[in-house]
Amino acid sequence: MTGEELWQAVLAQIQLSISPANFATWFKNTGIASVKGGEVYVSVPNSFTKEWLEKKYDKAILKILHSLDDAIKEVKYIITRPSALKIDKRKGEQSWLAQDQLEFDELKVDRETNLNPRYTFENFVVGPFNELPHAASLAVSKNPGFVYNPLFIYGGVGLGKTHLLQAVGNEVVKNVSSKKVKYVSAEKFISGVISSIKNQKMEAFKTQYHQVDVLVLDDVQFLAGKEKTQEEFFHIFNSLYEKNRQIVISSDRSPKTIPALAERLRSRFEGGMLADISSPDFETRVAILKAKAAERQLVLVDEIFEYIASNIQKNIREMEGALNRLVAYQKLQNQPPDAQVAKRLLKNVVLAPTRIATPNKIISAVANFYDLKEKDLVEASRKREIVWPRQIAMFLLRNELKCSFPFIGRRFNGKDHTTAIYAYEKIVREYQQNEKLGEEIELIKRLVYET
Amino acid sequence: MKTVLLLEKLKQVLQKLEKISQKSLTHPILNTILIKAEKNFLNISATDLEIGIKWWALAKTEQEGETAVPLHLFSSFLNFLPNKPITLHQKNNYLLLECGPYKSQIKTLPPEDFPLIPIIQNKNFIELKTADFCQGLSQVAEIASPSSARPEISGVFLSFQKEAVKMAATDSFRLGEKTIFAEEKGFSAKGMEGETSLIIPQKAARELAGVFGEGNENFKFSFSPNQIMVESQMKETSHIETIFVSRLIEGEYPAYQEIIPKKHDTQIVAPKGEFINHLKAASLFAGKINEVTIKVNAKDSKVEFFSQNQDLGEHRSSLQAKAKGAPLEISFNHRFLAAGLAQIKSAEVIFELQKNEGPAVLKPLGDPSYLYVVMPIKAS
Repeated sequence: MTGEELWQAVLAQIQLSISPANFATWFKNTGIASVKGGEVYVSVPNSFTKEWLEKKYDKAILKILHSLDDAIKEVKYIITRPSALKIDKRKGEQSWLAQDQLEFDELKVDRETNLNPRYTFENFVVGPFNELPHAASLAVSKNPGFVYNPLFIYGGVGLGKTHLLQAVGNEVVKNVSSKKVKYVSAEKFISGVISSIKNQKMEAFKTQYHQVDVLVLDDVQFLAGKEKTQEEFFHIFNSLYEKNRQIVISSDRSPKTIPALAERLRSRFEGGMLADISSPDFETRVAILKAKAAERQLVLVDEIFEYIASNIQKNIREMEGALNRLVAYQKLQNQPPDAQVAKRLLKNVVLAPTRIATPNKIISAVANFYDLKEKDLVEASRKREIVWPRQIAMFLLRNELKCSFPFIGRRFNGKDHTTAIYAYEKIVREYQQNEKLGEEIELIKRLVYET
Repeated sequence: MKTVLLLEKLKQVLQKLEKISQKSLTHPILNTILIKAEKNFLNISATDLEIGIKWWALAKTEQEGETAVPLHLFSSFLNFLPNKPITLHQKNNYLLLECGPYKSQIKTLPPEDFPLIPIIQNKNFIELKTADFCQGLSQVAEIASPSSARPEISGVFLSFQKEAVKMAATDSFRLGEKTIFAEEKGFSAKGMEGETSLIIPQKAARELAGVFGEGNENFKFSFSPNQIMVESQMKETSHIETIFVSRLIEGEYPAYQEIIPKKHDTQIVAPKGEFINHLKAASLFAGKINEVTIKVNAKDSKVEFFSQNQDLGEHRSSLQAKAKGAPLEISFNHRFLAAGLAQIKSAEVIFELQKNEGPAVLKPLGDPSYLYVVMPIKAS
């Protein structure tokens, strides 16, 4: 006889001997948790019920159980939480989305895994620019630890790295709930290392990571220069890797171009799967906008989508910001904005002053990137470490600002325009052949446009 | 059973029990309280099967015994009696009440049916000053959200640490935190190891503050995995006066410390009374989402309140206050702000704001023990 059948038999008999009110009050949500040897463990919902059953009905229950199975010698009562609680946990969250009152985002995050349930594969828009990382993430989430380990996803700000990373975590949790997933941002990891050094709890900190099945580390570039943290991460990485546990990492640049990263970490990152997210093309941008608008129940004419997509090119988060403005308008006026209104509303977003590059900005960004002084860059010097950055600066001036070659020459201490042409063509040539250069230029551009 | 005690005492405690004893149609015994005459004491118990209370008072007992009487009738009746000693006398199925010229009898229920209140048999406890704790608890208890979808935040979080007790509650739009520091308030932990944290249901937090609220003495906390027990002693003698037990909410409380902003863009220091007045005036004109906009300009040390409603009109007022940081415009649900302000006890209030729809913080000036975090309304 199973535990359930045993308990049904007890209930059937005991209801005859007590009042219906008492029966309903004290036997609701009770059951047999386990049977071990001669001991039966009865699960009860709260301590009041436990007290009551122990003091009032213990003899009756034992007698019935003993008559069903003479091996049973003793009954014990344990308090268990009703299992119904977990199921409707997600329901409440949905209804709040439509409201204007903002709530604490932190509360939505699962405490065990640090994952935000908002990020899933279902609401991730796939385009040519992120096909590879998406496919790799999907594969990893289906079979964590055995394909592409570690998975290293890199790309610019606001292109969906965090979304992908969290989606991997959420998918694993959804499919195999026994797997332990932990999402942590590099920043948090660093502060965790620091505080455990301070409190001398390094061991506890490490074991917490050694136990996970899938470790997701976001924005790993922040580990740059943090030697002790890198060392700790290296050990955690190794121990997880040896046990075939999945590691997923994101960064805003490829491992090669993260400065001050220990060689052994770099080579390990490169040993797995590297997948980069580039900027989305126009069609994908429109598709993303449409998906996001549908999420917000915003109905817009195609012209507006195209307007946003053609004016905000590099950053999906900024596109979302633009959409939010339109949502606000719709709420206030109770009608969706038409193209005219939308353009007026988005003027500030589209023409944000920070997005404009100037010759000075480019030169200072190049100088900054190669750790030179601006003065060195424009002065006449034939040192190799200066000539190369100078040529890149000239290339960028031409490419980004469409400056004339004579202007570029003048800007660099009165050089001839042919020098500028030579530099430009040289970099264009190199740019096509040398992947590393492409990445460098991408990073410099980010310095120009994002600061 | 036959016992005599002061009516005053009985009335006081019955008032407190009224909210706990619930109306149950299916199980009438839950509408009653258990009255028990012990040697030299009268003991009254009430429970709703989540919370349980046992209370003792000195009484002249002539005959020991126990009975269960309907609380509502019993307590309403006592209100009409003169302030004289009252005699409780159980005869057959009736409780005879005698007080001055009044004589009545109430039909009782069998006391054996009354639920047993589970007592924690644990020698380890934490001792706290009753008044400080209850006042702190009432400062956060109302914030908790009654939603059953998220059981963890439907209660009040208590964390007993070495040097302080922290209490927190949130409904995901706002959060209140109260800290009671050890050295000033004198609490002592005996036999407790490390930190203990738990979540008590909102109702239990309310009742706990209500039942013990006025006491100046210390009370003792003890815990079991599913339960919390609080007990206080009588002033006159070393007997227990009240035992309060409650179930705990299972689950892990969210890491709420991460919600508390570490920085702010703009800070206002304003007289609390005026702040509340301006807010209330503005609230009259607020629309259906209770939106009141606050505009701060540090340069002319002004805080402007603005609200509008298509049907009612619009409102604008400004308050002189000390302000520093960036100029800012931000909207709040006025109810949330007013609820936070109401819990601030100092004459001046600090209001810290962030750009980009980040959470704002209200706190009393010169008192680090309380803070109230509130999320704004999305700018439109």
